[in-house]
Amino acid sequence: MTEWLDDFLIRAICAGLIMVVIAAPMGCLMVWQRLAFLSDTLGHAAVLGVGLGLMLQLEPIFGVLAVALVIVFSLSRVSSYDSALSETTLAIISHTGLAGGIILVGLLPGPAVNLEAILFGDLLATTVADLLALLLTTVLLLVLLVRHWRAFVAVSVSREIAQAEGIEVRRIQVLMYIMIALLVAVMMKVMGVLLIAAMLVIPTTSARLFSRSPEQMVYISALYGLGALGGGISSSFHFDWQTGPAIVVSATALLLLTLAITRLIKPDLD
Amino acid sequence: MVDEAAVKHKGAGELLLRADEISFSQGKRLILDRVSFELRRAQITTIIGPNGAGKSTLTNVVNGLINNYSGSIERSPSLRIGYLPQKVYVNTLMPLSVERLLRLTRQSSAAEIDQALAQSDVGYLRQRQVRSLSEGELKRVLLARTTLGRPDLIVLDEPTAGVDVSGEIRMYQLIGELRDQLQCAVLLVSHDLHLVMSQTDQVLCLNQHLCCSGLPESVSQHPEYLALFGQQASQSIAVYAHHHDHEHDVSGAMDTHKHD
Repeated sequence: MTEWLDDFLIRAICAGLIMVVIAAPMGCLMVWQRLAFLSDTLGHAAVLGVGLGLMLQLEPIFGVLAVALVIVFSLSRVSSYDSALSETTLAIISHTGLAGGIILVGLLPGPAVNLEAILFGDLLATTVADLLALLLTTVLLLVLLVRHWRAFVAVSVSREIAQAEGIEVRRIQVLMYIMIALLVAVMMKVMGVLLIAAMLVIPTTSARLFSRSPEQMVYISALYGLGALGGGISSSFHFDWQTGPAIVVSATALLLLTLAITRLIKPDLD
Repeated sequence: MVDEAAVKHKGAGELLLRADEISFSQGKRLILDRVSFELRRAQITTIIGPNGAGKSTLTNVVNGLINNYSGSIERSPSLRIGYLPQKVYVNTLMPLSVERLLRLTRQSSAAEIDQALAQSDVGYLRQRQVRSLSEGELKRVLLARTTLGRPDLIVLDEPTAGVDVSGEIRMYQLIGELRDQLQCAVLLVSHDLHLVMSQTDQVLCLNQHLCCSGLPESVSQHPEYLALFGQQASQSIAVYAHHHDHEHDVSGAMDTHKHD
């Protein structure tokens, strides 16, 4: 009995740790490039992917990845960066995806699909296969991040300067979109489609309060992610809170705490 | 080919770039119409013209960002260009020091960074966070950035947008000083001819086609220039032709300058 309990907790903790490792750099890049809303959109639209995946009797993650890739490729075809990522465009995609997905999931024959697990995640139900998918994707993303880090940072600082100095801004942008699609697909299981963006944005925002360089912000974000994960899993375990939401609430609690402390120390902070 | 004799002569006036009958259209709209000019070492060339005249397009043809133009451009071999785009949005969400901003896309030694910042009068900003800079400070840091890597030509697209008038005057002085120190050519886009006049060697008055070009004094008397900018513009030129015995930096602090 105890062994089985240990096992699922260990799997959950491993999944959480891997997620923290990849969420920190990806989250920073997305915050810098104001792409947080895009991850939210892909998350919502992932419900459609889950529905399609189940309908075609595939693993839901493939449906999610397919939908996310279709969305990011369509967005990258739109010539103007601003109009592709406008709140209106993203909101329409986001909510249409969510609504369509819920209809689709409702139509599926057989036992009812656990919508709650899709929407809010179920870290404690992480399987070995989930863990493996998360690990492989994380390794791939980390390799891409390390290889293109300079270009990613330059494009984040200023598209105009990056362009002028020979960085292929558009290619980097499309690569970034694809990486976000991959990330959303594997994070869905852990955080749930509705809470992915939170894990990318909240620890990053805490880190931004006192980071002095881009890389420092990534490392500090990872520490905050770790704190949120610890707080989330333990409160989930002790108070029977849902894990995904518990992680998000912990992350926000850490952010508020940091804000309060930095205000006390440096009242004139921006 | 670029004039061989001019290439051998490495000093001031060496021909760095010759644009011949450059035309460029976007869709059906003709943006540049057979524009020809030359850029020479240690000379400041200013492009003036009304909104939509094709000024930024022309700078992008020069720095190689636009390639699908007709006509020809001859650059002297291994021409190094430093470029400051017109609207630079610098991200304030990212923690970034001024030093790191200068190292964004290339490796530069600490000495090179120090020198570049000092030449643009912003050596004291080296460790500062970019998000805490004023608009004027940022512009000068970005100007310093364009001087890294020993450029032969610096292309500056409206470098003073968002800077107040005294900051603007100082900026143009700095550009003149940089030209002297680096012995590079400068291609400058500006709205305010009267401010840049005293620093400029050659003016290109652009309105799709080249209306007129030459020395500032002659351009300012040219009928096409007067038609575009009006009599008042040519009269106001004299205003800034005098010297200041002191000036204010962008933050408003006063510092005395000895330049004679």
